[in-house]
Amino acid sequence: MSILAAPQAIAEAAESAPPTRMPAAAPRAGRSRAARVRYALVVLAFLLPSAIPLALFVIGPMIAAVWISLHDWNLIAPMRFVGLDNFASLLADPATGDVFLHTVGYIIGYLPLVYVGGLLLALALNQALKGRSLWRGIYFLPVVTSWIVVALVWRWLLNPSTGIVNTALAGLGIDGPGWWTDPAWAMPSIVLASAWKDVGFVMVILLAGLQAINPDLYDAARVDGAGPWRRLWSITLPMLSPSTFFVVVISLINGFQVFDQVYAMTGGGPGGASQVVVQQIYDLTFRYGAAGEAAALSWMLFAVILAVTVVQIIGQKRWVHYV
Amino acid sequence: MLLHAVVIVGALAMLFPFAWTVITSITPGAGLTLRPQLWPSDPSLEAYATLFAERPFARVVLNSLGLAVATTVIQLVTSATAAYAFSRLPFRGRGVVFAIYLATMMVPLQVLIVPLFAELRAFGLLNTYLGALLPSFASAFGIFLLRQAINQVPRELDEAATLDGAGHGRIFLSIILPNIRPALATLTIFAFMGSWNSFLWPLVVLRDPELQTLPIALAGLQGQYTTAWDVVMAGSVVSVLPMLALYLIAQKHIIQGVASAGLK
Amino acid sequence: MNRTVPVVAGLAGAALLLAGCAASPAEGDASAEEVTITYSNFISNGGNEENLEAIVAAFEDENPGITVEVTTLPYADYGTALQTDLAAGSVADVFDIEYANYAAYQANGVLAPLEVSNPDAYRPSLLEAYSTDGTSYALPSSFSTVVMFYNADLFDAAGLEYPTADWTWEDERAAAEAITDEAAGVWGSHQPVSFYEYYKVLEQNGESFLTDDGTAVAFNTPGGIEAAEWLVGKSGTVMPTIEQGQGTPDFDTNLFLEGKLGMLHTGIWMFGAFADAPFAWDIAVEPGNTEQASAVFSNAVGVSASSEHIEAATKWAEFLTSSQVMVDTRLDAGWELPPVADEAALATYLEKDAPANRQAVFDSLDGVALPPVVANGQTEMQDIIGEELVEAQAGRKSVEEALASAEERINAVLAG
Repeated sequence: MSILAAPQAIAEAAESAPPTRMPAAAPRAGRSRAARVRYALVVLAFLLPSAIPLALFVIGPMIAAVWISLHDWNLIAPMRFVGLDNFASLLADPATGDVFLHTVGYIIGYLPLVYVGGLLLALALNQALKGRSLWRGIYFLPVVTSWIVVALVWRWLLNPSTGIVNTALAGLGIDGPGWWTDPAWAMPSIVLASAWKDVGFVMVILLAGLQAINPDLYDAARVDGAGPWRRLWSITLPMLSPSTFFVVVISLINGFQVFDQVYAMTGGGPGGASQVVVQQIYDLTFRYGAAGEAAALSWMLFAVILAVTVVQIIGQKRWVHYV
Repeated sequence: MLLHAVVIVGALAMLFPFAWTVITSITPGAGLTLRPQLWPSDPSLEAYATLFAERPFARVVLNSLGLAVATTVIQLVTSATAAYAFSRLPFRGRGVVFAIYLATMMVPLQVLIVPLFAELRAFGLLNTYLGALLPSFASAFGIFLLRQAINQVPRELDEAATLDGAGHGRIFLSIILPNIRPALATLTIFAFMGSWNSFLWPLVVLRDPELQTLPIALAGLQGQYTTAWDVVMAGSVVSVLPMLALYLIAQKHIIQGVASAGLK
Repeated sequence: MNRTVPVVAGLAGAALLLAGCAASPAEGDASAEEVTITYSNFISNGGNEENLEAIVAAFEDENPGITVEVTTLPYADYGTALQTDLAAGSVADVFDIEYANYAAYQANGVLAPLEVSNPDAYRPSLLEAYSTDGTSYALPSSFSTVVMFYNADLFDAAGLEYPTADWTWEDERAAAEAITDEAAGVWGSHQPVSFYEYYKVLEQNGESFLTDDGTAVAFNTPGGIEAAEWLVGKSGTVMPTIEQGQGTPDFDTNLFLEGKLGMLHTGIWMFGAFADAPFAWDIAVEPGNTEQASAVFSNAVGVSASSEHIEAATKWAEFLTSSQVMVDTRLDAGWELPPVADEAALATYLEKDAPANRQAVFDSLDGVALPPVVANGQTEMQDIIGEELVEAQAGRKSVEEALASAEERINAVLAG
C-alpha cells in the first residue's frame, strides 16, 4: 500500500479490521510449542509492568469496595453485614436519580463544548502562527491552574449583579441569568468554567494527533485539487479519529466522575441543584458515615461508565480509522 | 489575520485568572476581594518570603518534584510497554484485558482510599515515598493514550523491520517509540501534572511533615477560621510555574519529534 | 496470556483480606520507661506550629521518657485523614476533635475514658461539654466565642448609640436599617445564613434545635420560624443578597474592612485581621431576643481507645490543655483562648490592644449556646438545615416551607 495514495489509504483504513485482529505480528497457527511459549513470554514481559501494579493497587481495592458495599459501616465502628440493603436503599432514594441526572446533564453540556473548542484551538495553533509556542502555553495555563483559583474567578465573572458577563449582557439589553446562584443555571455555570479550563487539555491531545498525520497526505490531496474544507473532512478528521476517540472516552469517564469544580464552585448547591455522583460518594464516605452506601453508589457509577465505554469501543469500528 | 486576532482575544481570557492570582500574591495582607485590583497600591513579595520562611517549603517543593519525576518516568515505561502489547501483540482475550485496564479508571478514588490505605499499612508503606508512588505506577490513561498513538504508526514499518530480523524488543525501541514521540511528550505532561497536583492520596499516606507535598502544604495555608490569601496565591503561582515550564519544553519535543523522526 | 485474569483475581483477593483485617490495633513496644506517643492535630496548622513545638518541648522536659511525635494536617482535610486512620486502625494516640464530632466519636467507642488528675483547672462548662455520663472522654484545648463587631465611625455618622450587652434584636434591626445605604454600598449588619447561626438565634429566642432527648428536631415552632425569619430576613434589607456575593469566602470580613458594614457577627479570631482597619471599631455581646445566647467554638483532644500508652497519652493531653506553659504560649501568640477556669490567668488578654471591650468576650460566656449534637448524622443534619435556610434566603421557599422540609428530612436522618 503506497502511503502517497491518500484517498485509497483512507478508504482502506476505514475498512480495515479493528486492531484486535491485525495479521502482521500474529503467531501463525502451526507454529511450534516452543515458539508459542516464547511468544507468551514476550507478551507477559510487555504487560506485567503495568498489570501487577494495577491489580494490586487499583483492582484489589475495587474488589474490597464490593465487600464494603455489602456492609453498614461508618468507618469508625465495626462493619455490619447487610447484604444488598445499601443498593436497595440507594435505589429507593430519589436523591440517587438526581445526582445521576445532574452528572449526565454536565456531560451533555461539557463534551461538545470542550471538544469543538479544543479542535478549533488545535487546528489554529497547528498553523504557522507567529509565537505559536507562547500561545499554546497560554491556552494550557488554565489546565495547570488549581480549581480553587479558577472557581473563584468564575464565580466573580458570573456574579449575577456585578459580574462582567451580566454587565456585558445588560449592555446588549439582555437581562442576564442568576448563574451559580440560580438552581437552573448552576450546572451551566459549572459546564462553562470546566470547558474553559479543560479546552487546553483537549488541544494538547489533538495537537499530538495532528502532528502524527503524514504531511504527504495533504500534498497528495492538493495535487488532486482538494480545497482546505475538503482536506479537513477527508484527511484531518479521519486521521485524527483515534485521538478524537481517546478524547471522547476519557472525557466521558472523567465527566461521570466530575467533582473538584462542583465542590469549588457551588458545593452541590443551590439547594442540591448541582450535586453530582462523586460528591455524593465523598459525602457519604467521609461526612455522613455511610461508607457502605458510598461503595454501593460507586459500583452503580462503575456499571454506568463501563456500559457507556463498552458501547463506544464497539461503536468505534464505524468511525475510528487506524492506519 | 482574523485567526491571529481570535487567538489573541482567547489568550487574554485564558490569562486572566492567572494574572489575578499573581496580583493577589503581591498584594500584602490581601483579602479575597470580589473586586480585584488591576495593580496593588504597594506591591510586595512578602507573601513569597512568608511562604518559604514559615514552612519547610523548599523541602516540600523537592518532595513534589521527586515524586512527580519518578511517577512520570515509571508511567512512561509501564504505559509504553502495555500499549505496545495492546496494539501489536495479539493474544486471546486481549479485548477483555484491555477493558479491565480501562475499568480501573472508572471507580472514583474517593471510594478506594480506605481499602488502599489499609493495604499499604499492611505492607508497612505508610509515610514512605514508595507508598505514595505505588498506586500510580501504572496508568490506564497513559496506556490508552499511547495505544491510540501506536495504532496510528503504519504497520508497514514493523513488517519491514520483521523482515530485517528484528524482534519485538527491537521494533518497540527503534520503530515504535521514535514514532510516538508527540504522544510520549503529551503523557509526560499529564503524568507529571497528575502527580504534581494529586491531593487526597498523598494527604492520607504522607503524614510526616518532612514528606509533605505541595498541594497539601498549600491547603495547610487555609486555617480553621481565616486564610491569608496573598500567601495562598503565592503558593499557587509557585505550583503553576514548574508545570508551565515543563509544558513549554515538552511542546518543543512534540514538534522536533515529528521533524526528526519523520515517517519513512 | 489468559493467565492475567486469574492473577488479577488472586491479587485482588489478597488485597481484600488485607483490607478486611486492617482494623486490628497497631503493635508497638510496651516498654514502660521509654514511650513515644503520637499526636495528630490541626490546631497548630497555619502559623502556630512553632508554638505547639514549644509546648511539646516543655512537656518532654517535665516527663523524661515520654516523647511526643506531632503530625499536623490542614483543618479542611483533617477529618478525612482521621476517618481513614480510624477505619484502618492506625489512629494516633492523641488526636484533635471538634465539639460537633465529639458525640459521634464517643458513641462509637473511639475515645478512651480519661482519668483527669486536675479537673478543677478547666472552665467547668467546657469540661462538661466533653463528658458523657460524668466521665471525660476528651479535654477542651481552646475556645473562641462569636461576638458582634461594629464600625464605630458608621454609628457616629448615623448618629446612633454604640451597641451594648443589653441590646436586643429590635435594637440591632433599627441601627442596621439606619446605617444601610444601598446606593452607597453600605450595609447595616451581616450574619451568615447557616447552621452555626441558626441554632444560636433559636436559643436567643428561647427555642432549641433538638428535642430534649435528641431524637427529633424542635425548631418548627412559631418561635423557631421567627428566629429563622430574623436570620434570613437580613438578606436584601440590611445585608447583601446571595446574588450580590453574600456567602462567598471572606465576603463579610472584606466588606467590614472596607468600612462598608455597620455590624458583623463573627468570631474573635478576626481581631488580628481587623487590627489595622482604617476606622474605629469595637465589639459587643451579641443581642438576643428573649434571652442572651452566644456561640462558643471549642476544640478538644481525645485519647484513642486503642492506644497502647493511654496513661502517657492522657498525661500529654492534660498538659496540652491545662498547663501554665500552654496558657502563656497561647496568650502570647494570640492563639485562641486557653480553656482554663482561672480568669486571673487570662488578665493579660484583657489588656491587649483593640478592641477596647475585650471584656465582652468573657461576658458572652454567661449565656452559651452549644451546637446540637447527635451521635449519627451530625454532618448531614448541619448540611440539610443550611441548605433549606439558603433556599428561604434566596426566596425559592418560604421560611415555613423551608423549616417544614428541614424538619422532615432531618428527622428521617435521625431515625436512621
